[in-house]
Amino acid sequence: MAEVTRNWRLNGDPIEVSVPPGRRLLDVIREDVGKTGTKEGCGEGECGACTVLVDGQAVLSCLMPAGQVPEGAELTTVEGLERTEGGRVLQQAYIDKGAAQCGICIPGMIVSSYALLSYVEDSPDEKLIRESHAGNICRCTGYEKIVEAIQYAGEQWPRDERPTATSEHGR
Amino acid sequence: MSATDHVTASGRSSFNVVGKGVPRLDAADKVRGLAQYADDLPFPNAWHGRVVRSPVSHGRLQGLRFDPDFDWSRVVVVTPDDIPGENVVDMPGRDMPFLVHDEIQYKGEPVALVAAPTKRLANEAAAAITVEVEEWPALSTLDEVIQHYKGDRENLDELASQTIRKGDVETAFAQADHVVESEYWCGHQEQLYIEPQGMVAQVDDDGGVFVQGSMQCPYYINPELCVTLDVPREKLRVKQSAVGGGFGGKEEYPTLIAGYCGLLAIKSRRPVKIVFDRHEDILYTTKRHPAWVRYQTGLSKDGEITAMRVDYVLDGGAYTTLSPVVMHRGILHAAMGYRCDNVAIDGRVFRSNTFPNGAFRGFGAPQAIWGLESHIDELAERCGMRPHEFRLKNFLRDGDTTPTKQLLNDSVGSEAVLTDTLDRSTFAKKLDRCSHGDPDQARWYGIGLSFFAHGSGFTGDGEAKLQTRVALELDRFDDGRPGVHVRASSTEMGQGTFTILAQAAAEGISIGYDRVDYPYPDTSLVPDSGPTVASRTAMVVGNAVYNAGGKMKAALEDHVARELADGQRVVLDDSRFRSDDGRVWSFEEVAEGYLDDAGPMRVEDGFRLPPDMRWNQETFEGDAYPSYSWGCNVAEVEVDPLTYEVDVKRVTAVFDIGRVMNPITAKGQLEGGLVQALGYAIMEKMGIQDGRYDADRMQTYVIPTMVDCPEFDLDFVEFPYEAANPGAKGVGELPMDGLAPAIANALKQATGVRFHRIPITPEAIFEAMQNGSQAEDGMRAVLETAEDG
Repeated sequence: MAEVTRNWRLNGDPIEVSVPPGRRLLDVIREDVGKTGTKEGCGEGECGACTVLVDGQAVLSCLMPAGQVPEGAELTTVEGLERTEGGRVLQQAYIDKGAAQCGICIPGMIVSSYALLSYVEDSPDEKLIRESHAGNICRCTGYEKIVEAIQYAGEQWPRDERPTATSEHGR
Repeated sequence: MSATDHVTASGRSSFNVVGKGVPRLDAADKVRGLAQYADDLPFPNAWHGRVVRSPVSHGRLQGLRFDPDFDWSRVVVVTPDDIPGENVVDMPGRDMPFLVHDEIQYKGEPVALVAAPTKRLANEAAAAITVEVEEWPALSTLDEVIQHYKGDRENLDELASQTIRKGDVETAFAQADHVVESEYWCGHQEQLYIEPQGMVAQVDDDGGVFVQGSMQCPYYINPELCVTLDVPREKLRVKQSAVGGGFGGKEEYPTLIAGYCGLLAIKSRRPVKIVFDRHEDILYTTKRHPAWVRYQTGLSKDGEITAMRVDYVLDGGAYTTLSPVVMHRGILHAAMGYRCDNVAIDGRVFRSNTFPNGAFRGFGAPQAIWGLESHIDELAERCGMRPHEFRLKNFLRDGDTTPTKQLLNDSVGSEAVLTDTLDRSTFAKKLDRCSHGDPDQARWYGIGLSFFAHGSGFTGDGEAKLQTRVALELDRFDDGRPGVHVRASSTEMGQGTFTILAQAAAEGISIGYDRVDYPYPDTSLVPDSGPTVASRTAMVVGNAVYNAGGKMKAALEDHVARELADGQRVVLDDSRFRSDDGRVWSFEEVAEGYLDDAGPMRVEDGFRLPPDMRWNQETFEGDAYPSYSWGCNVAEVEVDPLTYEVDVKRVTAVFDIGRVMNPITAKGQLEGGLVQALGYAIMEKMGIQDGRYDADRMQTYVIPTMVDCPEFDLDFVEFPYEAANPGAKGVGELPMDGLAPAIANALKQATGVRFHRIPITPEAIFEAMQNGSQAEDGMRAVLETAEDG
C-alpha cells in the first residue's frame, strides 16, 4: 500500500509527513519529525508515557496509526505546552511541587493534565484528577506530588484557556 | 512536616541549604520534554542491535544455523569467536558468559548478537538464525528449590551461603516457654522503571570505546566491560544519559547491554544502539529474588524473645552475579529490629534455570522483613499480647546490640518512629474495630503494623574498601557567571541525587544552591564515588561532597585573605566573605577574580568513615553498617467479603532517615517506595511457566496506578548521623521494607486469615478463605507449626 501524505500543525508549526500504512503516530513524532520529548514506555497503551493531544484530545500515540490522524490536525506534545499560559502554569506547578522524579512518565502525564485542565469548568477535585490520570503510570513518585501539582495548577489556571482550549487547537 | 530534631553537640544543627525543599536541578528539563534518555540520544548513524537468545532453559548449544536465503552482507553478527577479550561477565562468581559457548542455563540466554542499519532488518536477521540445542531437564521455580531443600538437597546447586551466630540458640530453645515456627514466601518482583534499558556504544579510531545510556553505576561498566572488550580502563569512557527509573534494575544489568552494543560496535565500526521494548525488558532483565524464609522463635512466658533461628533461601537464577551480596543484606535484616541474645541465621542462594535475579530496592531486606514482621504478629498472638505491645516490649533501642553484636549508640530513632506511628495512627484504638472475617459485616476492616531498620551504605567493610572520591570544580557556567560543578559518579534516576548533592556542595562551600550544578556523570571527568545503590548516596556521597565543599571554602577564604584582605582572617558565610576588620566581598566577585587569575579550581575529597568500625567478613560479626535508618508503617485496609478485593485506605508511615536533606525529594522518594511496596504486597504477581515469566507485559504485570493509592500520613523524626555531616542516613530502600507485612497483618485482622505468600491477590484471599488458612494450599503448602516448648 502506498504512503499517504499528511499536513498537520505540530506545536503550532506546519509539518508535512509521509506515512506508510500502520506506522505509529509515536514513531512519526519521534523519528520522522525528531521531537523526542514524547516517550515510549510499553508500546501497548498501558503506561501513558506517549500521550499527546490531537485536536485537544489526549491520545496514546503508540496505539494510534499516524494515517488515522486527519489532514489539518493540530498536534500538541510536551514540547508545545509552554506556548500556552496554562502549559507554563502546569510546568511550574510540576517543578514547585516536586512532581517529576525520573521524569520519563512526565511528558505523557503533563499532557494528560493539560487535557484535563483545559476541559473542566472548575478546578478539578482529587477524585477527578486521579481518575483522569489513571492511564498514566509513574513508578517513582507514588503520585502524591503529581496530584498536588495538578491541583495547584488548577487553582491558577488562566480562565481564557478553560474550557475553550480545545477550540484553540481545533479546526 | 513536624520534624523532631535530636541533634547533639558534635552534629551541626543549623544549615542554610541542606534541609530546604529547593526545586530539583533536573525538573525544568523534564517538564519541558528536553531531558535526553537513552532512546533520545542523537546518534543519527547508529545501527540497531538485537540479541539472539536460547529457546530452552537448560541444555547444550550445538550450533547456529544461518538461513542461506538471507543476505548476511547487510548485517553484522557477533558470536563468541568475535569477543576480543574474555567471554565472561566480570561480576561476582565470574560464571556467566557474555554469549553462550557451551552450556545454556536459562531460557533467553544470549547466544549471538546482530546489528543492522534499521531495527526491522536487525529483527529479520535475528529471526534468520536458528539456535540448535540439546535440551536438558531444568529447575525453574522457588517451590521446586524448596522442595529439594527440605528433601535430600542432592539436585541443588548452592551458589552462596553465610551464617550469623549470636549467643547459644540450643540452650535458649530448650528453656523457652513457647516456640513458634512459620514460613514465608515471596515471588519475583519486576522493577518496571518506565524507561526500558537502553544503551549506545561507539568506537574511536584509536580503539577507545564510548558507552552512553541508561545506568545507575558508570563505574561498574568500567572496569567490568574492559575484560570482555579487551580495552584498558582509560580507553573505556562511560557516560550516563537521563535515566527513567532504576530501582536496582539498572545497577548491574547495564553492563550486559553495554557489552552487546560494544561488541557490535567493535565489529561493525559503527555506533550501535540497543533499546529494549517492554516485552524484552521484562523477560530478559533482573528481578527481585524469590525467597523462602523460615522462622523459629523461642519466647518467655512474659513475652520476651529469647531465641531466633532463621533459614533464608534465595532463588538466585542461573548465575551468581549479585546474589551473595543480596543474601548478605537479607540475613543482616532477617532478625534485625528486636532484642534477642541468641540468634542463628543461615542464608543460602540456590541456582535455578531462570534469568539471574539481581538488585532491586531493598536488596534482600524486603523479603526478610516481610517474613519477620508477619512472624512478629504471630509471636504477639502466641503471648496473648497485642501487636504494638509486643513490639514496644522487644524493639531494639539505643544501647542494644544487633544480631551481629553491633552496639547501637549513634542516631537510633527506633523508639521515636514506633511511638510516633502508633500515636498518629491511633493504632490501639483502631485495632478494636477490626472485622476478623465477621460474616455480618458488609466490608471488612483491618489495621496492621510493621517496624524495621535498614542499614545505610555498603555492608561491613564495603565503604572502607570503596574509598569514595568526589570533586568540585569552580568554573564559569553557561550564563558566564561563576558556579560550581559537582563531579561524582553518583547518578540521578529520579531519587534526587543531583539535587541533594548540589545542596551538600552549596552548604559545604556556603554559597547559594543556584550556583551549583551537577552534570551527568562521565567517567572521563568524575572520580569514583561508588555505585548509586545501597541507600548510600545521601549519607556517604553527601558527606564526601560536603567535605569537598569545606575544602573549597577554605581555599577561597585563603585566597581572599591573601589577595584582598591584607592577611586578615576571612570567613565565607552564605555567599559573603567577611574579614576580621569588617570588609565584605561577594562570592561572585571573588570567584570572578579567582577564575581570571588562576583559572578553574578543582578540589577532591572523600567519605570519612568512623575509624572505630570493626567487621569480620568471615563470621559476620561486628558493625554491619555505619548506621541504620528506621521506619514504622501502619496500613489500614478494607476487604470486600464478596469479591475479596483489597482497598488499602490509609498508610501512616514515620521514618528516621537522619538529616532530611530535602523534604520534598525525600517525601517523594518515600511515597514512591511505599506504593512500590503496595504493589509487591497485593498486586504484582509474576509466575514461571515453561521456564519464563508468565507476566511479561504491562498488560499482565500490573502495578499501582493513581487510583490504587492510599491516603498517606508521612512524618520524619530526625536523628542525624553524627559521624558524617550533613548527617543523612539511607532513604531509598527503607520504604520498600515494611509495607507488605503491615498490609498482610492488616489483612489478618480483617479476614481472620494469616497469609504466608505475597502478593495477596483477591484470588489468594479466596483460596485461603475457602480453606480457612493459606497453609493448606496443596503442593505449595506452607508448614505452620506452633508448639509449646
